[in-house]
This record gives sequence, structure tokens and C-alpha cells, in this order.
Amino acid sequence: MEDHPAVAGMAASPRPQVGGPGQSPAQGVPSSEPGCELSARPMQYTIPGILHYIQHEWARFEMERAHWEVERAELQARIAFLQGERKGQENLKKDLVRRIKMLEYALKQERAKYHKLKYGTELNQGEMKMPAFDSEEPKDSEIPAGPQNSQLTWKQGRQLLRQYLQEVGYTDTILDVRSQRVRSLLGLSGPEPNGSVETKNLEQILNGGDSSSLKQKGQENKRNSGDVLDTFNFLEDDSDGEDEGDIIEEVTDGKDKQRINKKHKIGNEGLAAELTEDTEAVLKEFDFLVTAEDGEGAGEARSSGDGTEWGVNRTKLHDMIADLGDEDLSHIPPGILSPARSPTRITDHEGGRAEEAEPISFPSGSGKSFIMGSEDVLESVLGLGDLADLTVNNDSDYSYDMPSNKDAFRKTWNPKYTLRSHFDGVRALAFHPVEPVLVTASEDHTLKLWNLQKTVPAKKSASLDVEPIYTFRAHIGPVLSLVVSSNGEHCYSGGLDATIQWWKMPSPNVDPYDTYDPSVLAGTFVGHTDAVWGLSHSGTRESLLSCSADGTVRLWSPPESKPCVGTYNGNKEHGIPTSVDFIGCDPAHAVASFTSGCIVVYDLETSQSLLQLSSPTDSSVPFNGHINKVVSHPTLPVTIAAYEDRHIKFFDNKSGKTIHSMVAHLDAVTSLAVDPNGIYLMSGSHDCSIRLWNLDSKTCVQEITAHRKKLDESIYDVAFHPSKAFIASAGADALAKVFV
Amino acid sequence: MVMAEGTAVLRRNRPGTKAQDFYNWPDESFEEMDSTLAVQQYIQQNIRTDCSNIDRILEPPEGQDEGVWKYEHLRQFCLELNGLAVKLQCPAIDYTRHTLDGAACLLNSNKYFPSRFVQLFIFHYLVNRTFFFGSFEKQGNYFNTGIILLNETFLCHRFTKFVMKYNLMSKDNLIVPLLDEEVQNSSARESEA
Repeated sequence: MEDHPAVAGMAASPRPQVGGPGQSPAQGVPSSEPGCELSARPMQYTIPGILHYIQHEWARFEMERAHWEVERAELQARIAFLQGERKGQENLKKDLVRRIKMLEYALKQERAKYHKLKYGTELNQGEMKMPAFDSEEPKDSEIPAGPQNSQLTWKQGRQLLRQYLQEVGYTDTILDVRSQRVRSLLGLSGPEPNGSVETKNLEQILNGGDSSSLKQKGQENKRNSGDVLDTFNFLEDDSDGEDEGDIIEEVTDGKDKQRINKKHKIGNEGLAAELTEDTEAVLKEFDFLVTAEDGEGAGEARSSGDGTEWGVNRTKLHDMIADLGDEDLSHIPPGILSPARSPTRITDHEGGRAEEAEPISFPSGSGKSFIMGSEDVLESVLGLGDLADLTVNNDSDYSYDMPSNKDAFRKTWNPKYTLRSHFDGVRALAFHPVEPVLVTASEDHTLKLWNLQKTVPAKKSASLDVEPIYTFRAHIGPVLSLVVSSNGEHCYSGGLDATIQWWKMPSPNVDPYDTYDPSVLAGTFVGHTDAVWGLSHSGTRESLLSCSADGTVRLWSPPESKPCVGTYNGNKEHGIPTSVDFIGCDPAHAVASFTSGCIVVYDLETSQSLLQLSSPTDSSVPFNGHINKVVSHPTLPVTIAAYEDRHIKFFDNKSGKTIHSMVAHLDAVTSLAVDPNGIYLMSGSHDCSIRLWNLDSKTCVQEITAHRKKLDESIYDVAFHPSKAFIASAGADALAKVFV
Repeated sequence: MVMAEGTAVLRRNRPGTKAQDFYNWPDESFEEMDSTLAVQQYIQQNIRTDCSNIDRILEPPEGQDEGVWKYEHLRQFCLELNGLAVKLQCPAIDYTRHTLDGAACLLNSNKYFPSRFVQLFIFHYLVNRTFFFGSFEKQGNYFNTGIILLNETFLCHRFTKFVMKYNLMSKDNLIVPLLDEEVQNSSARESEA
């Protein structure tokens, strides 16, 4: 291309020397107008004539070339626009897929939760993990490569074109008009000296990612091209890595474009007005494109993000290319244009990028209409291959047991506090009746008091560490059992040393390094001759029940000088007691479980055993039928027992019959707790998990893996807070955990 | 699992277990301990078996990371000192309690001991604190009780040997009552090495 002027000049000069009647001109242009003109006078070849002819031809060729060039540029602009469009659609699709994946994930979680709550088992639905979004796709780097190259060639080409035209004699005005036209078509401009400053500026902002200054910038320019700038804001969010270069390129063009716009404004008021109108119109078009809900084409366009189908809005796009005139949107994906206009969108995206695993909230404004507003669009999107499975079976899934949904989904417990300060297994724990305070008893000979409001920032943000505010020391040897009085003023602990220690509860705001106050230990109950394994306190009776490996169950009335007011099972007629509890609806009665498998209801006044709920089991297998824990329902005459053989059994206190029996865990069930309202049961097991059960349906509503194993033991105790939404578990791994 | 193993011993202290049967089961080799708290289990098992056999207690199993080993031992010291603090009603009770409480918090803090891995600096700090606790005992009025208790469980011997073995403190700083032979033994060992 560059040689042409020179070649033309050379061709012009030798021609006269040849001198002979050259037929080539006539042959070369038999059908063209100049040719016809010449062929009318075939014999009159003069040097000036030939020269004129050649010049004429040259000019014509150049005209044609220029025309082609323009056409080519137009086509390239269209290609670029369509590519931009495609990219936009792809972004849109990516965004939608991502949202759908989030929804899918949430749904799966919901399902799993529901299933767990309902059946007590993990729902096996394949791997369930957060959908990972790689925002960088290899495709991205390919697509913009074209436009970038073509931009360079355009600039060169334009430069050349200008040269040609000047040589041919095109006046500057014509040239200006033409170049104006070309520019307006391409939305590009030739290199202008002062453009670099602003470009650099913007480049800096884009690279630095300083969105606030960008926004500021955007506001400054809003009058002229706020929308374009907003789009850039969005682009900044959406692009990274290799993309960035291209974006800058585009931005550069965009800035130049703006300047042109300004020029237009100065030069031609009318044109400027027209431009603004155009801009608005175009943007409206894009709005329509994005938000169209009935538009089948729009839906299709979205789903065909792979770029193979272009027939969608072709005519529309054609129209828009014309309209686009002065708006450089060729590289800006229209799909993201209108979402970018809502200011919240930007922050949404930033949030999404900062923590990619975080569920992304729906952007406000038009974006929302994709999913919330339009069933049609949603369905067409969901029709995508990898998402096909999530819509339809929804209904069937949810329909089979709607009524219990409300109940089952009421609460999911999550680990919140980790109580680490014990040196050995935590055997028991109990909550304060009102305050967010609990006491733990450990095999390290101590009890510790914890205030959940005094937390220490933990290493991992998921749960908080709590440090104990008080350490109770009196037991010589492991502490095995613990109970807090119902008014929260005292607590009692039983140890392997056969003693029961009676403690005054220190204030929840006690300074952990305050001087020792001996009055915290209110008293010691001596009476048992072996390890004290179970304690229960009744607020209404102001009395304490204990059971010991010495075979006895004892009733204590703390304030009295001789606190032991009753002894049961003195002759070990039922075996060794393992656990005791006051009966919730009748504190004059108590229930005790035994190593033999017996559960006996005692009348505390008469010291008589009223009822035997469970008979001794065959003792040929060691620990067969061994009961680890017995609790009484707080309001109903129901007794619940946890068995070494993985069962939980429910008994009717009136008839003594077994109401329900279930294999509740994978290993020995060690602990039980009933929530204060009597709706849920919690069980802990040496299988390392705690489970929550709906007492009504006897279904597991949640399972939490809470503790590690030490030897063959894992979880020793579980507890509900009597008045607050806390549950806790104590484990052999020397930890206690609180869930909210 | 329980049933499948059949005759396998389940090492559990079930409710109702008598004090004499507490932790009373056949020893398990360190290799068989598959739980994550195996080191603690192993140390406690050796102490229960024969708390006077200090060399065995302090001898780490093959391939055991020394940091974890030391850390677990220190936990065990603090655990046993808990029991001691109960019996001591000496004037240093506050100091004793606070030292133990502080040590407990520190040793259990996953900030300083992520995954129970010992950071040397804190370790030394703790050793010194624990050691001073011992020295307080000595000076207290209930010195004799303290020594008797310490001798009962061989805690003092174990602590001395432990500190010597891992060179956690210089000998001069050890005010904890030492048996002369121990010092000699350890110096002999050191000179051999």
C-alpha cells in the first residue's frame, strides 16, 4: 500500500518515453466512464492526455480504495461491536451461571440440612462444595486480541488514507468530513498529542484500582458521558490480568471519543444535542436488551453465550451500529451496561471479588429482573446444560412434608465458642440459668467458669476462643459430674475422690487473677465412698441427688448440718448407678439408671422404688445394656436413657413401658439433654458427634461433629442453656464447645 | 464398630466405674494409639503404670517430634500441679493459682501453640514460671507437705529430669529440691555426652 504513490509516479514518467499508442489504458478500463470518454477519441494520444488519464485513473483507484477502506473499517467496527456484544453476553452468562450455582449450592445445603434434620443422616448428593468462580477465562484473552490489532491497523490505515487523499488533491475540508465520518463510524480517532495525559491518568486509576477516584472522575464526566464512564467502572471490576490492557485501550479510545464529543459540542451545538439524544437512545436500546423479559431473542442471546448463534438480534444490532455513530460502545458489552449504572452494583462486585466464596447478593435494579422478575428468562437460563437438574425436582422434594418444614428449619446450630483451657478430658458441663456463663468439670482436677461475653479473638474467625474467668480447685483427682443450681447461685461437682464439692458461683465479671477467695468453696459433702458419677439438682426442693460407684444414690439438702438426707439402693439391689435425675413433672420422684440396664423410679420421701422402667439385660456381653445417662423430660412423664449399645430409649413413667427405642449413634451414647421447652433432645456419643432430635417425631434434626477421640472416648456431656440459645458439648479432647 | 471388634478392649471410663478401675486397662503400645491425642495418652499411661519410672516416662517414642513431646509433658506437669495446688494451703496460693491458670491459658491457646506445636520462647517462659512455682512451695510454710506430695508422685524428680534432659534451664537456677544423686547422674550423663 505504501508503495503506491511512488509506483504511480514512476509509472507516469516512463509512459511518455515509450511513446507508442498505448492500448493498455483502453483495455484497462473498458467500462468505466473515463475509459468511455477516451475511447471516443482513440487516436488522440498526447502526453498531457495520457498523464491526465493516468492521474484520473489513479484518483479513481484511490477513491475506490478509500471507499473499500471505509467499508472495511465499517465492517471491522461491526465485528468489533459484535465481539464486544458477544463478550458482554458471555460475561452475562458467566454472571448468571455463577448466581445459579450459588443458588444451587444454597439449595443443596438447604436440602442437606433438611434431610439431616428429617432423617438424621447425611444426605449423599455427591460432592457439595462452594462453586468456584475463575473469573479469568482463557477465552477472554483471545477475544480482545482482534480488536486491539485492528485498532493499530486502523490508525495506520487512516494515516495512509489521509496521505493518499492529500496527494490526490482532496481538500482539507473534504478530508475532515470524511475522517469525521470514519471516526464517527469507528468511534476512533487518530493520535492526538494531548490525549496521552488523560489516558495515562485513567490508566493509572484503572491499574491502581482506586475506585473512589474513578467514581469521582466518573462524576466529573457524567454530563458528557456518565454512562460510558460507569461502564468503565464496571469494566474495571470485571476485568483483570490480561484483559486490563485491552480495557485501557478501550478506555483510551473512549476518552478520545469524549473529547471529540466535546469538540462537537463546541463546534456544533445541534450536532451535540443530536449526539446526546443518540446516546440516550442507544442506551435505552441496551436497556431493552438487558431487561427485556418477553423478548425471546434476548433470552436466546443470553443462553447462546458461546457465540455460535448470531442471528438473534442481528437486525437490531445493525440498526444500533448506525445509531451507535458517536457512541463508542463497540467494545463495551451491552449486557453489563445497565447493571453498571446502578451504584450498588459496583460494591456488589467488589465484595464478590474480595471473598469469592461468599454468596453474591443479587444486584439491584435491572439485574434482578433476570432471576426474580421473569420466569421465562429464568427458565431459559436454567435450560443450560449444567444446571438442568436443579429446577424441577425441587417441587417434589419440598412437597412431601411441608408441615414439618417450619419446625425442622427453625434453628441450625453452628460452633461459636471454643473453650480451651483444660489439660484433660472435660467430663461435664452446665450452664448458668440466665447468664451466658457455663462451668466445665475436667479430669485435670479442676472446674472452670467461662463467660461467653469475654472472648479472645481466635486464630480462625469462624469461632471465638473463651478464656476461663475462674478455676475451681478442691477435688483431688478427676472431676466427673457437675450441676448448677436453678437459681445460678451455686454449683456442685462430684469427683473420683468420692466427694461432692459445693461451690458458690463467682460473679460472671470476676477478675481471673483476683486474690483467692476461700468462700467460693461453700462446703464438701462426704458420704459416698467411691467416684461420684452423677448429680442432679432440684430448685423446687432445694436438694441435690448424687449417684456413686459405691452403689448408692444419695439425696442431699445442702444447707443442713447433716446434708445427706436419704440413701437409695444401699444394698446394690439394682447394681451400680450411673446417672440420676429428678423427674421434671414431679420433683418428689427421681429416676436412676444402673450399669445393669435397670432404670428405677424412686419416691424420694419413702425411699421406695416405685417402678422399674427397664429390666436388667443379659450380662454375658460386657456392658451390654449399660446405661450411660438418664434424663427426665421437663414437662412430660417421660424418661430418656442413653445406652452404651448406641440406643436411646424413651419410657413412660406411668406405665413403665418403652415408648420408643432407636439406634441413635454409631457408637455408645454417652450424654443426653432436653431443651427447656421439651421439644428437642440432644445426645452426645463416642462417635464424636452430637445430635439433635425432635422429641415429637424422634427424628434427627442436626448432627454436629464436635470432638476428637482420646482413647476410645470422645464426648462426655452435652447441655442446653436454660434460657438462651446456646448448646454446649464437652469432650475427651480437653475442649468444650458452645454452639449458637 | 464395637461389635465388630469383638474381644477388643474399649478403653473407656464409663459412668459407674469405680475409682480403682479408673483408667485400669491393659497398656497400649504407642503405635496402636491411633487417636490424635496419642502423645498425651502415652505419657499418662506410662505415669499410671509406674510413676517412679521417670526415665521411661521421659523417653519419647521413636520418631516422636520433640516439640510436641515437650509440650505434652508440660501439660502433664501443669495437670498434676493442679492436684497439688488443692492440698497446698500455703501463703503463695494466689501465685500458685494464677501461675497455673496462666499456664493453662497459654498452653491451651492455639495462638501460641497451633496444633500443639511448641514455640521455644514461650516454652521457656512457661518452664520458668512453673519452676518458680516450685520454689515458692519450698519457701512456704507448708514446705514439708509440698515435698511429700511431690515425692508421692515423683513429680519433682520428673520435672528435674525433664528440665535437665532438654536443657530447658541452667542447673544453677533450679531451686526445686534435688536429690544429690540426680544432679550427679545428670552431670555424669552430660560429661559422657
